[in-house]
Amino acid sequence: METTFRVYRFDPENGSKPDFATYQVDLPDSATVMDGLRHIRDEQDPSLAFRASCERGSCGDCALRINKKGRLGCTLKIAKTVKNGVVTVEPIRHIPVLKDLVYNLEDFLWKKIKAVQPWITPREPQPEGEYVVAEEQLAEVRKAMSCVMCGLCDEGCVVIKIDKDFVGPAALTKAYRAVFDPRDGQHNERLTLVSEPGGVWDCTHCFEANGHCPLGLEPTDRLFEVRDEAIRQGIRSGTRNPKVQRHYDSFLNSIKRSGWLDEGRLAIESEGLTNIAGLAKLLPTVLRAIPKGKAPLPYFHHKRPGAEAIRRIIDKAQRSKV
Amino acid sequence: MKYAFYPGCVSRGACPELYPASVKVTEKLGIEIEEVTDVGCTGAGVLSRDLSDPINARTLAKVEAMGLSSLMTICSTCQGVFTQANHRFKNEPEYREKINAEYLAEEGLEYKGTVEVKHLLWVLMEDYGVENLKPHIKRKLTGLKVAPFYGCYIRRPTSIIAPKGLSGRKTYLEDLIEIIGAESVDSSGKSKCCGFPILTVNEENSMRMVSDHTGDAKTKGADCMVTPCPLCHLNLDANQPTAEKRAGTQIGMPIIHLPQLLGLAFGFDEKEMELQRHIVSTEPVSRQLEVSIRS
Repeated sequence: METTFRVYRFDPENGSKPDFATYQVDLPDSATVMDGLRHIRDEQDPSLAFRASCERGSCGDCALRINKKGRLGCTLKIAKTVKNGVVTVEPIRHIPVLKDLVYNLEDFLWKKIKAVQPWITPREPQPEGEYVVAEEQLAEVRKAMSCVMCGLCDEGCVVIKIDKDFVGPAALTKAYRAVFDPRDGQHNERLTLVSEPGGVWDCTHCFEANGHCPLGLEPTDRLFEVRDEAIRQGIRSGTRNPKVQRHYDSFLNSIKRSGWLDEGRLAIESEGLTNIAGLAKLLPTVLRAIPKGKAPLPYFHHKRPGAEAIRRIIDKAQRSKV
Repeated sequence: MKYAFYPGCVSRGACPELYPASVKVTEKLGIEIEEVTDVGCTGAGVLSRDLSDPINARTLAKVEAMGLSSLMTICSTCQGVFTQANHRFKNEPEYREKINAEYLAEEGLEYKGTVEVKHLLWVLMEDYGVENLKPHIKRKLTGLKVAPFYGCYIRRPTSIIAPKGLSGRKTYLEDLIEIIGAESVDSSGKSKCCGFPILTVNEENSMRMVSDHTGDAKTKGADCMVTPCPLCHLNLDANQPTAEKRAGTQIGMPIIHLPQLLGLAFGFDEKEMELQRHIVSTEPVSRQLEVSIRS
């Protein structure tokens, strides 16, 4: 198949600006994008730099932006992605490029992975021999064990796009792996750690990450599992973001009281009743909304029919999860 | 076909213009709806699923008890939470039975897993049909440039929201905009998060999303944006002045609810659709409507 490769080129050592170089390749239909890059380097331009290792989607080394989508170059066939005879290959976004398609993952991924402490801290008392874990206890965790840390879920994350400090779906998937490992002894400490600012609560749960994982591990679902487990353990925020807990509690209490959401009260209680600066910050929005009839009166919130039954359900669910 | 109607919290709270606009539009089209009144908030993705799943199973059981098999929503967030919960109830019968036994039985309720939950947008495009819709268009909104804004929950997770056979759901807004004679303007963030879910947690990021989305629509030449989600509306409209301030720029992008836009095409005036309630002035929309009426 004759294909034009448009490849991102950048060499900081020669002082030139990033640009695209064009190469013509003719490879069998079964060839992958990585085969194309290797062909270019071996046959046409030995200066082209890229990373590749396993060639079977197991190492995540060749995560690239191919025709504007984050993909693994080694598992994506040229025939599957080519558009009008062209394959455009770039480094993934939001990341410093070292040379051509080689980028630095340190701040983008590795620091964040380390921040969630994705190692098992043995539960005490430790057994004499090995920890024996039944397969069914690990079945769910295995989803996250398959993560190859390619970073493509982070690459597609709408929060990371604007906030490089957000820990991101890749690290939180790693956190999930440790949180649900039955051998771990730092369960609640770990849940508190990921609930701090920049952690699990900063996720918009927009499910964007699911569409970017090349292995179908559904990182947003893993993140939800971590968040729900934290709530189950009574952890509704970290130690440095009490507003998150106030918001959750106010939301829940509103549903328990009336069956539906008292939006005005939620805004007030999230800020905190004694937080004068926070409450003052709400004022401009409220003052804009009042003349338009868009500021629901807080606290005077009528009960919906069925509110009692809903409260009973919540009480029971809260008791049963403890 | 008759639908149980779930208006959600926001259409009766901070977006009170959405409820009447939705009722007027469905009445005009002859879509029969009956509000399911004695049910709770979906949890909006805030409450843990341990709590929200039984509440949502109860709502769906109530719909079955009404003798209906379809529940219509007018909020993408309600839609998304229902779709995901209902997917679990339908595909994990043991889980559904557990919820029935532990939470619903004492009220004499049981959810059998027969209800389809559909946003008004899906009802119009999949059940009502474009051909049945067209005769109701009394004035083409010619010349009005509308940027569709789906938000997250009515687009993802794709495998559940827009599975094979229903991938057309990804362009329903664009399709409707063109059917009513307006021009669809593509913006890069149309299926991304509006920022509302993190408004309390990280206001800075939330406001950045608002200014990015509305600013991009403005750059692309849109007169307004249209959304099927009142939470997207709240953030993009009510918080747009704050987002403008943070970004140090003036945007002034009107945000229209889906039923309001349809209502204008069906012959309702701006007052009947309560556009005057919006925080960002809808004047640019009115001006363009004047032009299209005269021509």
